[in-house]
Amino acid sequence: MSTGYLLEDQPTRGRLLPRFLAFAVIVVLVVGALSARLFYLQVSRGGYYGGLAQDNRVLLQPIPSARGLMYDRHGRELVRNVPAFSVRVRPADLPLSKRPHVVSQLSTLLGIPDVEINESLDRGAGSRFDLVRVASDVPPDIARVISETHLDLPGVEVAIEARRDYPQGPLLSQLVGYTGPVAAEDLEELKDQGYLNDDAIGRTGAEAVYEKELRGAYGVEQIERDASGRKIRVLSTVREPRTGNSLELSVDVQAQRNAEKAIRWAMDLAGLKRGVVVVMNPQTGEILAMVSLPTYDNNLFARGISNADFQELVKDPDQPLLNHAISEQYPPGSTYKLVTGTGGLADGYISSDPSNKLLSQPFLTLGTTKFYEWNQRGWGRLNIYDAFGHSSDTYFFQVAGMLGIDRLAHWARQYGFGEPTGIDLPAEARGNVPTNEWKQGVFGEDIFPGETYQAGIGQGYDTATPIQLLNAYAALANGGRLLKPQIVRRILSPEGQVVRDFKPELIRELDVPKDVLRTMREASRRVVTIRHTYNLVDLPIVVAGKSGTAEFGRRDEQGRLPFHSWFAAFVPKSGNPSAADSELAVLAFAFDSRTKGNVATEIVKYYLQLHYELDVDLRNFDLVVRDNFYRGN
Amino acid sequence: MGVLRLEPTRVHTWATRSVSTVWGLFDWQLALYAGLLAVVGVTMAYTNSGSTPLTPGTTFTRGLMWLAIAIIAFALAASFDYRWLRTFAWPIYLVNLGLLLTSLALGDGVGGVARWVTIFGVQFQFSEIAKILTIIVLANFLASRSNRLSSLSTIVGAGLLILPPLALVLVQPDLGTSLVFGAIFLGTLFIGGASLRWLGVTVAAIAAAVPLAWMYVLKDYQKQRLVSFLDPAADPQGSGYHLIQSQIAVGSGGMFGKGLTNGSQNQLDFLPVQSTDFVFAILSEELGFVGALVVFGLFCALLWRVLLVGWRSQDPFGLVVAAGIASMVVFQLLVNVGMVIGIMPITGIPLPFVTHGGASLISIAVGLGILESINLRQAKPKW
Repeated sequence: MSTGYLLEDQPTRGRLLPRFLAFAVIVVLVVGALSARLFYLQVSRGGYYGGLAQDNRVLLQPIPSARGLMYDRHGRELVRNVPAFSVRVRPADLPLSKRPHVVSQLSTLLGIPDVEINESLDRGAGSRFDLVRVASDVPPDIARVISETHLDLPGVEVAIEARRDYPQGPLLSQLVGYTGPVAAEDLEELKDQGYLNDDAIGRTGAEAVYEKELRGAYGVEQIERDASGRKIRVLSTVREPRTGNSLELSVDVQAQRNAEKAIRWAMDLAGLKRGVVVVMNPQTGEILAMVSLPTYDNNLFARGISNADFQELVKDPDQPLLNHAISEQYPPGSTYKLVTGTGGLADGYISSDPSNKLLSQPFLTLGTTKFYEWNQRGWGRLNIYDAFGHSSDTYFFQVAGMLGIDRLAHWARQYGFGEPTGIDLPAEARGNVPTNEWKQGVFGEDIFPGETYQAGIGQGYDTATPIQLLNAYAALANGGRLLKPQIVRRILSPEGQVVRDFKPELIRELDVPKDVLRTMREASRRVVTIRHTYNLVDLPIVVAGKSGTAEFGRRDEQGRLPFHSWFAAFVPKSGNPSAADSELAVLAFAFDSRTKGNVATEIVKYYLQLHYELDVDLRNFDLVVRDNFYRGN
Repeated sequence: MGVLRLEPTRVHTWATRSVSTVWGLFDWQLALYAGLLAVVGVTMAYTNSGSTPLTPGTTFTRGLMWLAIAIIAFALAASFDYRWLRTFAWPIYLVNLGLLLTSLALGDGVGGVARWVTIFGVQFQFSEIAKILTIIVLANFLASRSNRLSSLSTIVGAGLLILPPLALVLVQPDLGTSLVFGAIFLGTLFIGGASLRWLGVTVAAIAAAVPLAWMYVLKDYQKQRLVSFLDPAADPQGSGYHLIQSQIAVGSGGMFGKGLTNGSQNQLDFLPVQSTDFVFAILSEELGFVGALVVFGLFCALLWRVLLVGWRSQDPFGLVVAAGIASMVVFQLLVNVGMVIGIMPITGIPLPFVTHGGASLISIAVGLGILESINLRQAKPKW
């Protein structure tokens, strides 16, 4: 070929050889470097990356167990598991750049402010691969929209889960309690027990106390997932889930309804804010009913309570979330004379002989201080029966003075005051039994004699929870066995087998002679027969008990103190108060009652009418009005 | 004008050559290595096509279609007398710029990116074609100045020639492809015989301009992608995600890989857009270190044949085309694989043959076809 331009470069060609070679060297270096790096990644560290790929792919995923149910003592359903949609987010699959878009989408669909969604996302305590709950109990149509637009919402998952539904709602909220998400601060500890980041746990009531039984055991399955966290297939089931056990409560829904009806009647009539009715079987310690008003609807929590609703409950001055029957302590007032009387008899300062009497007076004087009888007159000389029956303050001042504070405290503790009863509900208060030692610890001085007087009639430093007071009277009614109050009778397996049967749990046998207890039971009956409790005696059943009017707070402009009303009663089965065969004890407590008469007595009376389906109605409407009868005791 | 004068001679030359001589001059090895690499690409398309790779519209069936078109393009380019390209160098240049402007005007990429143009429902990336066309134009320019190669004016001239297409690609924005233009520019000048001194000065000037480009030209997302490879763990869900998942894919492949279609990183979507720029990660995951080395071997063999065509070419034009294609392939290999294995920034440069994409495959087929054409039309084969 001899065309001109092909020859143009011939002289330069040989000169270019080093450049070709240099280029070849560059190629070799490039491929060599890439190969070296590949060797490092794939061969030297292949195992490490293999593990990471496996972690990406394979996930050990818990299989939730069905939570156990609850029934009342007659098999009425107290809790159901119902399906509900929840919306959850796996932060690891939600790129930061898309987060504002996803959050605002969810906000629109779910009707939750952006801020709250962002808070939920940031609160997630676990790893970024753990699902964070954004909304519970989402309406099905919204849930469907969210799952359909799945691709636009990376990391967002809609799941069907079981949520709790409480058919009885507010009636039993205080007892049954509710479940809620595990608190972030508890998660660290609970993780070891198999709880997940986004897991439900019993938060209060029986749901909390019997959490271990109800929860069952979660199973574990090994799943293969894709990058968006979706389950591709189950590789293997490592462990099957085990359904939780169910609870049969000692509570009788009908008794609970009656109790609530009775107390609501009085509270509505007298305009009261807080009240308690507890019903138990003194022979066993079984709680048949426990009403604490105001109450709340535990379904609100089961559905995922809104912040507004929660704030409203928390800010309510009457504390609907608190079970006032066990979590609050109040001065017990004259009901406490049970302790003083028992002590006086047991220590021999007074006797059960009706002729053994002390003089009741308009007032006692200690130094310069006058301690008044509640009617400021007295009844002359009284034996223990009439003194208890009239609820004479000056009589029991004298007995308390003879016992002294520490001996009085001894008998109080025998009855279970000053320590939690151990009822199977959370947050029980312990009450207070004053002693010299206690006062030294708190105020650095001994109890004054006047304070011993006050302690003898359930005022001053004495405080007790309603359950403690009822339990003390139950011990009196059953002949001296202080039993642990229980709300759960039996634990049943998912198949219905009895896992744990009911048995009464003895706290202690009271160190009190049986005849002393019989005397106090008879004295309790005298309270009724002497008509201290008005027409309670006219009920066609035999009721014994003791009322109390416990002053608290500050005097009004007329020098009168506000007061709580108490009435603790038991119903001897045989109709003979001397016998220790009572199977029903009822306590009513009205906070800041300020009614014309003792409203608690009226509540108990009404309850007994309903309980025994009596066709008499002896309610004294005129006593249950807003007034201050002042010292009706 | 001078070219046209030579026309009768060339026709005569072609006519007098026997068929057996022509086939003897055809570089079968070049075609073989390129073909094997294309097979690797189609194989990766197969593994990325899910459970039904044979249904229409999958990456695999589209890959097969593009492969068929690429083979035809290769054959046409090989039989076409490459010297016509010199004749039409300037029109080609204008067409080149026209295509890139069209991309900017009609491009329909995601998030303000104008890389792809949709023609009859098929997305096409003109910047891939632009690389080959620019090589042709550059080769023509350097060949015409082969006696003045050592002067600065040659470098400046080549620079002025390559700057418009480079700039048009950069504003798409496609930083990666614009860097390929830079590699072609330096590679052709280096192998073509430009003054090393002035080349050194040019490289120094470019290096000095990098900080300025960083501050004024690059967009934030580009900077973020560029630096994220240094510490992918800093934003594992954001810009570092691809890098981390890519390295997990590569590393978990081990020596022999998990087997075709068995890569969990691939099949379970842990590595998004596995069919595009990160396809080498899937190759490494499923075929292992050995598979990757085989691919490297094929690239080395192909580059050897490409450079050989250039060296054997009696024509400086052929030399420069070969140098341009070789520079382009090496640079893309380095940057794409380097990105996948975490030693290079993410720039979105395809791996020739392996990354799925019609434009990329057809451009390289046309480029190699031109090289075959050059080989076929040498008077005196030396080896």
